[in-house]
Amino acid sequence: MPGTKEIKRRIKSVKNTKKITKAMELVAASKMKRAVNATLRSRLYAEYSWDILTSIAKNVDLPAQAGAITHPLLCERNEKERKDKVLLLLITSNRGLCGAYNSQVIKKSLALLSPKKVFGVDIITIGKKGDVAMRRIGEKVLASFFELSDNVTLREISPISDMIINEYNSGNYDKVFVAYTDFVSALTQRPNIKQVLPISKTELKELISFPDKGRTEEGLHSDSTPISPLSRGTDYLFEGDKNKFIKTLAEKLTKMQIYQMILESNASEQSSRMLAMKNASDASSEMMDDLTLVFNKARQSNITREISEISAGMASVS
Amino acid sequence: MSKQLKLRIVTPESLVLDELVDQVSIPTILGEITILSDHIPLITEVASGDIVAVEKGEDIPFAVVGGFLEVKKNEEGITEVAILADFAEHVSNLSEEKIKEAKEKAEEMRQQMINNQSVDFEHFKAELERSLTRVKIADKWRVRKYRK
Repeated sequence: MPGTKEIKRRIKSVKNTKKITKAMELVAASKMKRAVNATLRSRLYAEYSWDILTSIAKNVDLPAQAGAITHPLLCERNEKERKDKVLLLLITSNRGLCGAYNSQVIKKSLALLSPKKVFGVDIITIGKKGDVAMRRIGEKVLASFFELSDNVTLREISPISDMIINEYNSGNYDKVFVAYTDFVSALTQRPNIKQVLPISKTELKELISFPDKGRTEEGLHSDSTPISPLSRGTDYLFEGDKNKFIKTLAEKLTKMQIYQMILESNASEQSSRMLAMKNASDASSEMMDDLTLVFNKARQSNITREISEISAGMASVS
Repeated sequence: MSKQLKLRIVTPESLVLDELVDQVSIPTILGEITILSDHIPLITEVASGDIVAVEKGEDIPFAVVGGFLEVKKNEEGITEVAILADFAEHVSNLSEEKIKEAKEKAEEMRQQMINNQSVDFEHFKAELERSLTRVKIADKWRVRKYRK
């Protein structure tokens, strides 16, 4: 049995660890709240921009028809333009200590990489953790972004989205996917892979409808913006160049999508960190209890031994 | 009283305004337009400048930088004006301090451009426009009366 002094030292160190984990838990909790709020706020904008886009070109999600207003960001590549290559944007965190958050999303993207024979995958990473993982297994990493702050602004996203749109427009890739972590609730996060380009209506709708808790069908439109069926059929008066308009709108939408995914990942990161830290705090409390018990036992046995030594000494003297 | 229209100003970061107003003037790429109730459905691009909503004779000004505008009628027959701005802020939020900051930022960026040729032009342009618009709009509304 280790000496009482040593046990005492261990208790002290566990106590310090607990203080740290507790503090990290609280920080993560407040950061999470902020991230969730940001996601909610940006949703309205995304919803409106989609609304406008569908109003302009009611058949955006159909393949290019004669006369239909369309844009490369909105329609699938033709057979002959196919390059059989896709681009993957992997969103992870910069820092660890957040449970399985990073490993889950990395694992998910590895699943996309494995049927490699069919199409090549190039990667852009956000966050150090994903970057390290991808480089380790020798994937081609086009670019890595580390410098995003905790509360991301749309401005910080611009270089990322611009790069993705450029790469896509130059015809290097057929599709662009994003691997991110879906924030379902504070307790559940789900790693997910979504297609961002070409913009597909169903995926976008799904993303926009995000924090309707429970993700039920009726939850989809229970939002503060009722999408009126009346306005769908209305003919709009346009001012300005329609094609240019669609282009800017499509680019904005892409940016918004990426922005939202980053926000969601952020919220997920913070909540999984919160959970991990909570577990750590709990574990250290438990450990402290155990150690205190061991300490008391050791102390008690010391006393007992001393007493028996003294009485044995007395017995031998008398 | 004349019919009112529903004005919504939305930015990626927040919902800036959601109110019933009498009329609203918006700078578009083809010049300034004023929208009253029962306007026909319209979609256009918003330029930089100030959005002025009028409610009971009081002006409610906003600084805005780029975006889209959609006018439509919702099912209750109320004209809805949705402005999707890259940036929008109530003029009273443009405090002196912030304006000074914006001015400094614009100046700093100008310096950067002079010193460094490899500056990201697109980014720079957007930033500069934003800063300048804020300064301009705040100056314009300094002496006028408006509703907070």
